[in-house]
Amino acid sequence: MIAAVRRLISGPALGLLIVDAAGVVVLAAAAPAFLSTYNLFVTGRDFSIVLLVALAQMVVLALGQMNLSVGAIGGLVAIVESDLMVRYGVSIGVSIAAGLGVGLLAGVINGLLVHWTRINSFILTLGTSYVFAGINLGLTHATPFYHLPGPISGFGQARTGPFPHMALVTLLLTVALVFFLARIVSGRQILAVGSNRRAAELSGLPIARSVVLAHAISALLAAVAGTMLMAQLGQGQPTIGATWILPSFAGPIIGGASLSGGTAPVLGTVLAVGLVSLIDDGLVLVNANPYWVQFLIGALILVGVMIGRLRVAGVRGFLRLARDGKEVGHDAVRSEPTAAIGGRRQ
Amino acid sequence: MAAVTETSPGVLGGGRIWGTAGLRTVSLLALLIVTAGFWIFFAAFARGFLSDFNLFGLFRFAAIGILIGFAQMVVLSIGDMNLAVGAVGGAAGMFAGWLMAMGLPVLLAALLGIALGCALGLCIGLLIRVTGLNSFIVTLAAASLITGALLILTQARPFSSLPASLTDFAQVELPGTPISSFLVVMLLIGLGLFIVYRNTSLGREMLAIGANRRAALMSGLAVGRVVLLTHLLSGLLASVAGVMSIAANNTASPGLGSDWVLTSFVAPAIGGTLLSGGLVSVFGTVIGGILVATLGSGLLLIGVDNFWLELCLGVVLLLAVGLDRLTRTVGGATE
Repeated sequence: MIAAVRRLISGPALGLLIVDAAGVVVLAAAAPAFLSTYNLFVTGRDFSIVLLVALAQMVVLALGQMNLSVGAIGGLVAIVESDLMVRYGVSIGVSIAAGLGVGLLAGVINGLLVHWTRINSFILTLGTSYVFAGINLGLTHATPFYHLPGPISGFGQARTGPFPHMALVTLLLTVALVFFLARIVSGRQILAVGSNRRAAELSGLPIARSVVLAHAISALLAAVAGTMLMAQLGQGQPTIGATWILPSFAGPIIGGASLSGGTAPVLGTVLAVGLVSLIDDGLVLVNANPYWVQFLIGALILVGVMIGRLRVAGVRGFLRLARDGKEVGHDAVRSEPTAAIGGRRQ
Repeated sequence: MAAVTETSPGVLGGGRIWGTAGLRTVSLLALLIVTAGFWIFFAAFARGFLSDFNLFGLFRFAAIGILIGFAQMVVLSIGDMNLAVGAVGGAAGMFAGWLMAMGLPVLLAALLGIALGCALGLCIGLLIRVTGLNSFIVTLAAASLITGALLILTQARPFSSLPASLTDFAQVELPGTPISSFLVVMLLIGLGLFIVYRNTSLGREMLAIGANRRAALMSGLAVGRVVLLTHLLSGLLASVAGVMSIAANNTASPGLGSDWVLTSFVAPAIGGTLLSGGLVSVFGTVIGGILVATLGSGLLLIGVDNFWLELCLGVVLLLAVGLDRLTRTVGGATE
């Protein structure tokens, strides 16, 4: 309990929580439609999907790597599933299992290739994202699969009051991820490898397994997100995932993740994605130009990261670091979100 | 193959200069052979591949793609990344298009567009320098800010009534050849970059910083200034590509540049530029960009479904990077 409180105060989570709460209050006051059941449902549904995309990136960032193919995997999975259901009439369960299997396989391929070739994960997953997106387009010829089975589209619209049933999936996966990263040996090992690969190697940790596992989990989360977006749209759109790169990085980065690895700020990511969803919804509700979303996400990333650094280094330290031209970047922020997940000691 | 020695990474990265230079020659030669192989294949099997019309389009497309690759390459050379190449190029192109639609002379409008690109590059460099934040994060945010601002300001409307003299320039070719004026501009810029990296202290400093930023800092290099200049240069290159694109497309549309970010890495990566910095190949980027354009044009002509092009690009990128990695590992010149 004390650890949880300390975690909340030390990371960007507390600040984000306050901003989120303020956002809810302001929105509720400015636009009464915000609290309408349907609006909460729609916002919650978007949030559930984007959060999975952000967590998919966060898991790989924890390793100190990147996954540019989250969107391509999400899109490919949605297409495989809808293709099986619509063109081949395969049952829903089997189709989704096959789709998630394809996603998992894609992640394992990413992980194995990154580990074997030692090619920078950025460029490698860029390459595989072309391959996955290419297979998607080759299968669909850029035309969507319409007329998904009723239960699928039904699930996309299902809700209890304002609570989208999809959110249940996201909630379960998020809790499982927290538990995995905080309490399971393999999860701790991913963070250890991300924190200091060489030390992890010398301590005899299974590097290969950690790398493949992180990429596999990332791909699986992206696959579930793709499946949920397909259900929400009610059709297998080949463009699913095409715009996921920015949100996938925005969530973890605003939430306090370090690009150099070793951190997994799940709570910060949840709150950051929540803030982005609030902004998105707020702009719609006040009839503002929807393009402000992109602008504001950019501003949020910069401001969030700078506040994080200021808090750690203090104004003087911040300016000194900057003057020296050191690219400490997130490293300065790194010590605390690392401790965020259960206070790792080695 | 003088291009190979241009960076002499061994001086900066420590040891094995001969082995590295030799291996890089082999890698570049392999890339050249593969590209030539595709040309022969398409010349034999793709009807119309060697027609003036097709080659003109191919070269023009390649020239713009290579410039975008250059914009990424210079930033990679100092070990940074620029995820805002598309946003900056798009903003420069849109600004130039808007000025032209307002009736400004074409040349002045184009120069002002490029000036905006330089200014944006400078802002990005300043932001990185002042905050000391990772370039990935700063340029990710900057791309989002610039694109957002662009869409808000233009209301996502294109400027399509561009002056004839601009679109005419896009149609100019060297007399008697299918070589686009854009290709000539790109080659001149490439030559300039080659000279910068080979013969100027700025180029040397960029590579030194890319090879080992801490060592460069300790050696008293003005790291902050070089980072600033490099991002300015990247903005310049991206905005030239942006202005060329509106000339080639005959319209300045707000979607301009939205698909540049990922492709900007492809030509440098295929050409052997390291993502970790300290090693660039101007020549390799040119060939890499030509290979990409060749695949796009040739596959379309032989009737391979256009949709499989992305797949081919991905495979070529992975193979090229993997091969590069392999030759360097075999040569014992890694890390």
